[in-house]
Amino acid sequence: MTEPATTEPPRLTEFADLHGCSCKVGQSELDDLLASAGVDEDHPHLLFGVGEDAGARLLSEDLALVQTVDFFTPIVDAPTEFGRIAACNALSDAFATGATANVSCLVVMGLPRELTDVASDILVGMSEALEEVDGAIVGGHTTVNPWPFAGGAITATADPGDLLTSEGASPGDRLFLTKPLGVQAAMGAHRVGSEFEKTVRNAIERPMEEVVSEAIAWMTTPNRDAALAVRDHATACTDVTGFGLLGQARVIAANADVGVEITSLPVIEGTPALSELFGYGLEDGESAETSGGLLVAVSEDEVSAMRTAFDRRDVFAREVGTITTGSGARLVNPTLDPISR
Amino acid sequence: MTHVDVTGEVCPRPALIVRRELSELEEGETLIVEGDYPPAQKNLTRSCEKRGFDVNTIESAENGSFELEITVTEFASIG
Repeated sequence: MTEPATTEPPRLTEFADLHGCSCKVGQSELDDLLASAGVDEDHPHLLFGVGEDAGARLLSEDLALVQTVDFFTPIVDAPTEFGRIAACNALSDAFATGATANVSCLVVMGLPRELTDVASDILVGMSEALEEVDGAIVGGHTTVNPWPFAGGAITATADPGDLLTSEGASPGDRLFLTKPLGVQAAMGAHRVGSEFEKTVRNAIERPMEEVVSEAIAWMTTPNRDAALAVRDHATACTDVTGFGLLGQARVIAANADVGVEITSLPVIEGTPALSELFGYGLEDGESAETSGGLLVAVSEDEVSAMRTAFDRRDVFAREVGTITTGSGARLVNPTLDPISR
Repeated sequence: MTHVDVTGEVCPRPALIVRRELSELEEGETLIVEGDYPPAQKNLTRSCEKRGFDVNTIESAENGSFELEITVTEFASIG
């Protein structure tokens, strides 16, 4: 780990060895942990829980409470941007269930002593993101910690009939993604420093700054509008995180007892070459995403209506694959689809 | 046999350091890479194998430390 600079504004990413959703504990380790502790979703009035993006309780006939928590280490150096990304990422797990009303956030933040001055800027970024989705920060907890981290415990409500899980996908459904992939490679390029700057710049055909700023723009785009667009049409929904697109497709496959075939990879233009340079596996669907898009299954007869809903709400969306009768998730000669904003 | 130690380096730097070392080698030569950052082992293996290098894992410990033997094959290209 590089020693943090002391004479310039602190670079938040230098205070942690793993960044953003790359910190995530692996799926199999998580499954083992939950199994060993006997944690399952068998509780009265629980609509869904462990294994989904969030837990949902039935409060009354027409009201469900959705709860989730997510936090991670800095993926960018600017504290306000980091706060916005952390909030959008935490919110995304609630939005993936279709819950978008009464959004509240309890901030979870840890900082090394030498970074306590940036706490208020991180909070400003989080607060801006909450305001953008008509939500609010309603409390939180902070602690001193060797690695900085920030995020939040999110609550939101929904009509129980509007809720989505990863379990509802059926063979024949088509699969859509609401943000392009590639933020891990973009932010990796941002961190390499002057020693390898030329190598990185030579690897891509557009300015590195464009790639980085687009990645940040996608990460700071809340998934609420996407959730509102899909929830009347989708059969299943999750959000793409540290497991990457293929990992998240495997979650759908396992939870819905179906197969998933990925045939297209929408990517931030320039990130495939960076990923190849770094060995991140973007072209294999394995690169970690932070504050990624919603991965949505929709039946054939609802595709047209959902496309209209995406257009009406000005939500980016690309078709990326299909649900099959098989099992597991795999890439099938995927086309790389470069996206620039 | 050339040796490079990327202990303490976090991604994506190990891949770039190894790439620089490999660019100095000829066909048939081998680079030994030591490191301790768990994601780097997978990322290095992936990036080198995709470029036609032969990667042999000599050590892969639970604490994340690893040692790889990377050989320049006739198909290898630094890209």
